Amino acid sequence: MTPASAASAAARADRVLPRRAAARTLRRAASRIGLDVLMVAVALVVLFPVLFALSTSLKTAAEVDRYPPTLWPHVLSPGNYAEALQQAPLPRFLLNSLIQSGVITLGQLATASLAAFAFSFMQFPGRQVLFFLFLATLMIPGEVTLIPNYLTVRTFGWINTYAGLVTPYLATAFGTFLLRQFFMTIPRELQDAARIDGASRRRFLWTIVLPLARPALATLSIYAFLSAWNQYLWPLLVINSTDMRTAQIGLALLQSQEVVAWSLVMAGVVLILVPTVFLFILGYRHVVRGLTAGAVKG
Amino acid sequence: MGRRVTRRTFLKAAGTVALGAAAAGTPVRRAWGQTPTRIVFWHAMGGNLGETVVNAFVNKFNAARKDIQVEAQFQGSYDDLINKLRASLGSSSVPAVSQVYDIGTRFMIDSKAIVPMQTFIDREKFDISQYEPNILSYYRVGTRLYSMPFNTSSAILYYNKDLFKQAGLDPNQPPRTFEEIEAYATKLVQSNATRSGITIAIYGWFFEQLLARQGALYVNNNNGRTAAATAVVYDHEEQGTRILEWWARMVKNGVATNPGRPTAASQRAFAAGQTAMTVDSTATLKSLLTQSGGRFQLGTGYFPKPPAATNGGSIVGGASAWILNGRPPAEQQAAWEFVKFISAPPQQAAWYVGTGYFPIRRDAYREPIARQTLAQYPQFLTAISELRSSPINPATQGALLGVFPEARQKSEDAIEATVLGRKSPQQALADAARDVNQAIAVYNRTMGVS
Repeated sequence: MTPASAASAAARADRVLPRRAAARTLRRAASRIGLDVLMVAVALVVLFPVLFALSTSLKTAAEVDRYPPTLWPHVLSPGNYAEALQQAPLPRFLLNSLIQSGVITLGQLATASLAAFAFSFMQFPGRQVLFFLFLATLMIPGEVTLIPNYLTVRTFGWINTYAGLVTPYLATAFGTFLLRQFFMTIPRELQDAARIDGASRRRFLWTIVLPLARPALATLSIYAFLSAWNQYLWPLLVINSTDMRTAQIGLALLQSQEVVAWSLVMAGVVLILVPTVFLFILGYRHVVRGLTAGAVKG
Repeated sequence: MGRRVTRRTFLKAAGTVALGAAAAGTPVRRAWGQTPTRIVFWHAMGGNLGETVVNAFVNKFNAARKDIQVEAQFQGSYDDLINKLRASLGSSSVPAVSQVYDIGTRFMIDSKAIVPMQTFIDREKFDISQYEPNILSYYRVGTRLYSMPFNTSSAILYYNKDLFKQAGLDPNQPPRTFEEIEAYATKLVQSNATRSGITIAIYGWFFEQLLARQGALYVNNNNGRTAAATAVVYDHEEQGTRILEWWARMVKNGVATNPGRPTAASQRAFAAGQTAMTVDSTATLKSLLTQSGGRFQLGTGYFPKPPAATNGGSIVGGASAWILNGRPPAEQQAAWEFVKFISAPPQQAAWYVGTGYFPIRRDAYREPIARQTLAQYPQFLTAISELRSSPINPATQGALLGVFPEARQKSEDAIEATVLGRKSPQQALADAARDVNQAIAVYNRTMGVS
């Protein structure tokens, strides 16, 4: 290639390249917008039941039954919320649910992390057998233990108390399994180093293992909280009086035996949904922070 | 679905565990002390019904009676409530008085955890001559009235008068027989007035009602009324297959819509004007009137039956109040006072007008609010006049069966299989009967019923 031809090629490239780069950027932007649109569309599909619940909660009883169904209320009827609150003391139910789910979550975190610690960092005879026994309890459906648990709680005189509501759920085989698996990934050397520095087991668990296990703990918290929050049969069984009821039963309270006023029920659903969504947003941040902590040196 | 299975599993487990204790106490009258007797009333009336229970009954009663204070506690659906009651029997956590649905009657008697209402009636020589005999006949077993009817309903036909007019049908002549329903539905669809002539939810209660309209029994031993039932009989009766054939044929020909199991869907379709006819409980009348929102004129008619059926009639549904023997005699007596109060005419009239359940006694219709409502909505009369015209025999008294909730599900399976064309009516009913008979055998063995 002669210098002249090289120069002209370079000049051509100078003219062409920016155009190509611009086209590439444009294509990239277009595909990103396309992706965004797609994701928004998918999100709308996923969110549709929630959004429709919100819209139904603002409709009048007559509009709920209109055909074809209306997407948005033609006549706003926020009175459904007031009526739902009047038919069922939902704030009180929400408080009860919060106490119940909160205590169960804390209890599961405590018992599961201690048990998982034993199964991963301590050496004792029969450890494997004991662990498999733990796992075996996962095979027992919750419904089977419902009646024995009820009879036990009744013997303790815990019917209609928070104690009866939360005690059977304070320990969890699943949570133990989850945390044990996570603890196994923590290098043994850390334990050795801690021991050499004179840290007790308790100190090692508290200051080293648990902070490292934040993502796993957050996952367990969300799981424990949501499953406790969504409990129906057990709270229905052990709780008798209205002021001790949890939120899910509150929804049943809004439904009549023969007829369901959907706008009212949906108003109740939205009211009960709000705290869980908030808690999830808070918890989710923790999960993400935990996962990325130390990933990039800051 | 998940909850449904859970409940069913729970039901089985609960049945075997909870039936140990509960000795029969002898109620003794006691002088009222200074402190009021506090009793707990369990009910399954959610939504506006629950509000009515508390406002119209409990608050009013507590205000009137300083010696007794009632606390109403909502315990979930009818199924939830009876399951919970099963688990609590024999402990101090039972209420003094509880609402239990119609089909829980046999179980409540077999549980031996109750005091028959007749005991209180006899002791006080309480006058029940004003009570509707057809309603009492359901809750009377042998010669004794076991529980006090509380909310009573029956199934009726609802139709859209506007659509009838469009199709050239007389809006004041609702169809009566299976054949008429089919002919009307066909005409409604063919005239393009609607795409669905009739919508019938797959609900076991309707199957029971349709059998009773033909004077046919559900279980043996005279519907379980002369002795405990040991088997269902609908699989051997032509009346059973006739129902399913009629039902499935209409769906197959496209004149009837199958909305699935919950009646909520058929109610909405009807209220939205999407179907010309539906069958449902009278207890939905009030809300159908509001939901249809004046969009069309709502007509009511008798529940369908085959033309040849003469000895049949309607069975009452709903629930009744039971007094439990697990509480001290003073509380039982207080519960009786409360039961008397809720069945008194003013309360029954308020209940009737507020809900659509009809009064259990005739003098309640003389209350001013009842008269006003009847003048405004004559539709409220259909169910009660059909009930009063029904002969009282084991078929219309309704079946007594310890495993009724399960039996109802099995009959729903049978209807569904037939309507979807998966099984012949005979096959579907035979399969249901086999399952139910097994459940009855287990129940009778564990409960010591022979």
